[in-house]
Amino acid sequence: MSNFFNRDPRAATDRTSKALTEGAGLLRGPHRIFPLLLKLTSDGLRRQFQQQHLYSYANTTRPTADALRSLIRWILNAQRPDGGIAAFYSLLSGYSPSYPEVTGYIIPTLYDFAHLTDDESALHAAERATRWLLSLQMASGAFPSGLHTREETPSVFNTGQILQGLVRAYAETKDADILARATAAGDWLTKIQQPDGSWSGPAAYQEVAHTYYSMVSWALVLLSEIARDHRYAMAADKNIDWALTRAKSGGWIDGINLRGYPNFLHFIAYVIQGVLECGILRRRSDVIQAASKPAWLLLRRFEITKRLLGTYEPDFSSGRDFTCLTGNAQMACVWSRLFEATGDLRYLNAALKMNEMLKQLLQVRGRRGVVGGLAGSDPIWGAYQPLRYISWGCKFFADALMLEERLTRFVEASECAS
Amino acid sequence: MRVVVLCSSPYSETGCATTARLAQLGHSPVGAITLPSWDQATLVRKLGQWGLRDSARYAWSKLSPAKTTTPKQTRNPYFETALRQGHNTFRNLHDVAVAHGFPVVVTADQNSQKSIAQMQEWSPDLAIFTGGHILRKPLLEVPRLGVINSHLALLPEIRGMSSPEWSLLCGVPLGVTVHFIDAGIDTGPILLRREFLGAAECGSMLDLRNRMIAYGIELVCEAVAALAVGTISPVPQSDRDRQNQFFVMHERLKTQATCRLKKIGLAAASKFDA
Repeated sequence: MSNFFNRDPRAATDRTSKALTEGAGLLRGPHRIFPLLLKLTSDGLRRQFQQQHLYSYANTTRPTADALRSLIRWILNAQRPDGGIAAFYSLLSGYSPSYPEVTGYIIPTLYDFAHLTDDESALHAAERATRWLLSLQMASGAFPSGLHTREETPSVFNTGQILQGLVRAYAETKDADILARATAAGDWLTKIQQPDGSWSGPAAYQEVAHTYYSMVSWALVLLSEIARDHRYAMAADKNIDWALTRAKSGGWIDGINLRGYPNFLHFIAYVIQGVLECGILRRRSDVIQAASKPAWLLLRRFEITKRLLGTYEPDFSSGRDFTCLTGNAQMACVWSRLFEATGDLRYLNAALKMNEMLKQLLQVRGRRGVVGGLAGSDPIWGAYQPLRYISWGCKFFADALMLEERLTRFVEASECAS
Repeated sequence: MRVVVLCSSPYSETGCATTARLAQLGHSPVGAITLPSWDQATLVRKLGQWGLRDSARYAWSKLSPAKTTTPKQTRNPYFETALRQGHNTFRNLHDVAVAHGFPVVVTADQNSQKSIAQMQEWSPDLAIFTGGHILRKPLLEVPRLGVINSHLALLPEIRGMSSPEWSLLCGVPLGVTVHFIDAGIDTGPILLRREFLGAAECGSMLDLRNRMIAYGIELVCEAVAALAVGTISPVPQSDRDRQNQFFVMHERLKTQATCRLKKIGLAAASKFDA
């Protein structure tokens, strides 16, 4: 996600101007100074005194259901009057406008939560979000890039991510209009796909192909199943085959291709997640195997050092010393799904511990926009989405916690049955 | 056979029991190297492993005044035989060293120059690792035969941490392996590999671990005796590169491992009844 935030690769001035604009938010809302200082101080102190050891995160410190409720509450609070979900809450400028891409793939999370807890408000939020997204679809079937009201150029990635939400919304409501809109989006994606299976050109970010568009392929496979149209699955297979040509023997999958930006763990996890989900849905063991290589490598690093770096150089050789919390939550999802796919309990074990680590970083107290949310980075001034609580971070962590609940129940039930 | 024991702390019961048991069997060490009792990293790790209450109880049991009429209780009840001397119980490595006449050297890092120089001075045939840091090549190369370790699972099936728990969850028979330490994690050549058959009598996971650690010390002593007379030779692990490293288990999975352990007990009881 978050192409918007990395919009101009060439101009450092662009980033500076964004920072200044966001900083100016503090002048408009001086009441935000106190929470900002509090967070800066607490993160500074925690980093100073935190001692990680072999047994870190091996015990439950906060009930999973409690953490999950707080994340969903954060997401519901971030829903704007138009029905879209804000991209972030900035400690400097408050909530951002609605962000179509994130709104799209938060829909399945809201439905999952609603079913798990019989929560009506999550159900209504998902329906409102779907209606808002349908109002944004372009005549071509594509969805626009960027934050709402900013851009009207079609975007491959946003279309794919929104497609995930539409597919789920159709599965829940059986509304024929939603299916028609979803297939229109799928048709547009297959139409503009390159012969080699990648997506590049004007609708691709920086106009080049990216392996993290494996997430788009995942949405196409889901569409293929629900629309019973094999073309979408074929397009997804083609893209995954292309992505796997970028896989190195050590597990690294090249081709994130974000010029001017480091390989944030968030994007690395996207690549793995998209490839893995396609592998599971398409029952392709070669694809699952390709995703499990980097996932295992990151698992070992997390287990040994109790943390993952915020960015990685190719081949995971080195990286920057902060934590990209969203990437961590995504890896918890990946490890949980790998446990489902392979039965290897070490993946579930790592996911449980990663979730514990993230639970400890959830904001327990604070104002709306902060409480219950997951920050972009730890410490809050880290390079990924600094000074922000981000909706896609909350989404992935909520997914990870729901997977934890489902899988631990499964393990417990099978243990009792045996 | 000149033997050196490497310990994680002067108060490490496993370290004390190993040295005491070796001495009882006539293989008194030529020396012991230990990390300090207040090593910060160990302290933090133990707090994480045992929790504040258990750590405080343990500290009190070790540091409370020595002259009492009742013998001190050991944390691991299966160490009683090894650690009991008359009416007293060895409370730390220094007590064992005084009783059996070997020096103890305290070092902040087992891989330090000080530690290596001390080992070279003692020129041991064998070192026994009972806990501490990950050992590096310069230290591993000092003893003539190498450094051995007792691992609480069958190798090469289960390497790494929480090994009895992982053995239970993965359906691998419980066991103990005595092996040489090399650069990898539990990948060195194997000396002894035995299944542990007492699981059915274990009331809890802690009980299982305690029994297995005590069993491991017996196997280490057996290996030392066999190496001394040359009736045993190390066997390299066949699948050294397989990804069978396991990590510290989360408590939710530990509960499942405990469930399996209880089932083993129940199965044994019903077999006995039948």
